Amino acid sequence: MPGPDLLSSQGLRLDGRRPNELRRIRCKLGVFTQPDGSAYLEQGNTKVLAAVYGPHQASKSKRSETVVVNCQYSMATFSTGERKNRPRGDRKSQEMSLHLRQALTAAIKTELYPRSQIDIYIEVLQADGGAYCASVNAATLALVDAGVPLRAYVCACTASMAWQDGDPAPLLDVGHVEEAAGGVVLTVASLPSTGSIALMEMSHRLHSDYFESVLSRAMQGCRDIEVNIT
Amino acid sequence: MTEHVSIRLASERVNHCVSSSNDTPRFYTPGEVISGMQDFMRGHGTYVEEDCLKSSVAGVMQKVNKLICVRPLKSRYVGEIGDVVVGRVLEVQQKRWKVETNSRLDSVLQLSSVNLPGGELRRRSAEDEQMMRKHLKEGDLISAEVQSVFTDGSLSLHTRSLKYGKLAQGVLVKVFPSLIKRRKNHFHNLPCGVSMIIGNNGFIWISPKPQGMMVDGNEDEIINYEMQPVDSTDREIIARLKNCIAALVASKMMLDDTSIMFAFEESLKYEEVKELLDPEAMLDIAFLTQHRLNNIMEE
Amino acid sequence: MAGVLLSRTEKVFIIDGVKDEYRSDGRSTIDYRPMELETNVVSHASGSARLRLANTDILVGIKTEIDVPKPDKPALGKIDFFVDCSANATPEFEGRGGEQLANSISNMMQRAYQSPQAFDLKQLCIFEGKQCWKLYVDILILECGGNLCDAVSLAVKAALFNTKIPFVKAALMDGGNIDLQLSDDPYDSKLLDVGSAPLLVTLCKIGNKCVVDPTAEEEKCSSVSLIVGVTGNRKYYSDDDTEELPAFQPKCSAISMHGPGSITTTTLRNAINQGIIAAVCLDEALGKTVVRERRDIEKFKRHSYGFLK
Repeated sequence: MPGPDLLSSQGLRLDGRRPNELRRIRCKLGVFTQPDGSAYLEQGNTKVLAAVYGPHQASKSKRSETVVVNCQYSMATFSTGERKNRPRGDRKSQEMSLHLRQALTAAIKTELYPRSQIDIYIEVLQADGGAYCASVNAATLALVDAGVPLRAYVCACTASMAWQDGDPAPLLDVGHVEEAAGGVVLTVASLPSTGSIALMEMSHRLHSDYFESVLSRAMQGCRDIEVNIT
Repeated sequence: MTEHVSIRLASERVNHCVSSSNDTPRFYTPGEVISGMQDFMRGHGTYVEEDCLKSSVAGVMQKVNKLICVRPLKSRYVGEIGDVVVGRVLEVQQKRWKVETNSRLDSVLQLSSVNLPGGELRRRSAEDEQMMRKHLKEGDLISAEVQSVFTDGSLSLHTRSLKYGKLAQGVLVKVFPSLIKRRKNHFHNLPCGVSMIIGNNGFIWISPKPQGMMVDGNEDEIINYEMQPVDSTDREIIARLKNCIAALVASKMMLDDTSIMFAFEESLKYEEVKELLDPEAMLDIAFLTQHRLNNIMEE
Repeated sequence: MAGVLLSRTEKVFIIDGVKDEYRSDGRSTIDYRPMELETNVVSHASGSARLRLANTDILVGIKTEIDVPKPDKPALGKIDFFVDCSANATPEFEGRGGEQLANSISNMMQRAYQSPQAFDLKQLCIFEGKQCWKLYVDILILECGGNLCDAVSLAVKAALFNTKIPFVKAALMDGGNIDLQLSDDPYDSKLLDVGSAPLLVTLCKIGNKCVVDPTAEEEKCSSVSLIVGVTGNRKYYSDDDTEELPAFQPKCSAISMHGPGSITTTTLRNAINQGIIAAVCLDEALGKTVVRERRDIEKFKRHSYGFLK
């Protein structure tokens, strides 16, 4: 299944990175004053803002023994190449909200705060591939900024598969062009310091023989991101 | 009549960093191993996994004997008994008020832990329950003391002292609770002529100095007293203090009466209070205040 | 507006302060808080700007599309405003919570830009009756600390100033259809003439006086507020100072009232005058800032600050 040419003959990718290279990550904590915690993260050209409110008193209907994690993923209408009509509420962003919640709940020490709620809001300002990963990473930073107890950092990263001279060469941190080329995209959110996976998702087909190598590359990416943002 | 409008570019942004003299302490982040040893007690901000004590927040470690805590740099207010807080009434319920104090859960003020008009030794009747809204209603600000902490972390407050109770005219400034320095006294009558309550929960109340006790007056007199317009000198000092606190907060400096007073004195060289909204002036004040604090430390 | 709760005595303090012309941060009734502006922050958009006024934070992105003009106005282009209240600003905006506020702001902007003296839609025309540019002005509210309308209008004007529209290289006529070839070179593009674009000024009636640039607390104390849209002066937005421009007269392009209270006609007239004066000052400050930024960029390559630093 040799896909489109994602690697040049020199072994470089379309944007000039090596297969195991991340895009440049830059971030800042505490960009806003109103939320309890906020963070801004740039991963290449993908730019994400995250804000955390809480932990605060949960509304009466939602009270439980553990903290309620509430996520909302929203994309600015000008964030993509083609203008989006609605910033949120479509099926994709609802799914994203759900996945974010899943990955972040795994990290938050939910048992500490009964009857409370944490609101996490993500705003994607510019999407250039890997918006989910950047969102997870930004949300983690915002949670750290808010002083919410976490088991560990959650980091997310994507990986894809390319071929070089017939050998498999897994690609790390897939950009928009590579995403659009139609290859496999494997998204992993993990707690790198413990090595456990909080969420994994894959699109397109991939031979199970290569699954391990792609997964390990994505996990490596998570670890690299962790080193980067701590 | 000229308008004051200033628009600066992002490239001219002021960096609010003010270096303090003391070294930066060791900084822990979530998931980081603090100690592999067993003979420690697990405090706030830490957890045990695989026989290791790990940090769960990003902050500085504090060690008391064997108890290890990591205090996050910024978080909601975590109450301790005896703390002075400033809070806002959110809801009037049966026999109690719900009060917002910037902590994780709403705090509670029981009807039995307030001083009702008419003295301390009085039975609380059913009538009092119906009069609760007259005493404190939604939106009112109070100063109070933390009486106890419930198991779920929510706070129970009391105002059973003359210094606590409903707050009249003034300005509320909200800052991060971690910027408040714990002191013996949080009620200050500043030499510049206004009074200030630095709540442990990060709510700072600045108000004109009270003109004598108003406790024994009847309801109408109290209301009249509360509605008296504040004179313009007090108003200017309050505005100046508010802007000074904002300047210190922008540079992430610890707040107590000393640092705020220093900032106030340094700010006097700016004649107009509104000049203090300018980022350069804010940085200047924070810098000068830090300088004076360092001088004190050396002495 | 975002859920700010105030006690009665705090309101009295603010209202008395306005009466004394001395607000709780030392400003008089006609002063604005300091602002910070950066343009060209979103690379996916044709033009963008971010404006921060105290802790009100607005990000505007402008996208261009080719559209068919309305049959009754064949020579005019289109401009469309969309406001999104991000939940980052306050949890109340989660889901559809901010929609009402968003709609009222976007309607206000739409109305202020409708007049041909405010914004000339002819410059968006490509081929009369057949094709025109449509500008999508997307406004994202990231944090609110009062005075949203003014901040939005300033950010929109700065973003429009920054907007680049590609040149049309060739047009092929094929029966009734037109096939356009656009220039791919990002430098081969034209800028819009936005000098006259309107700015909105909110005047909050507190007590018997009107204040500009209200904080969230002050907005809570006022029963009624007046929003005035005032056209801008081209002079402040042109690069060369020699160009002869007709004498400038600020004009109101939209007025609206918000809130449950009422205003007497004299107060209204005074408020409108006050709003026009404020708008002229804002316009001058904004024009100087954006022109200065453009000159800076020409001189040396500047890197984008955005939310970093």
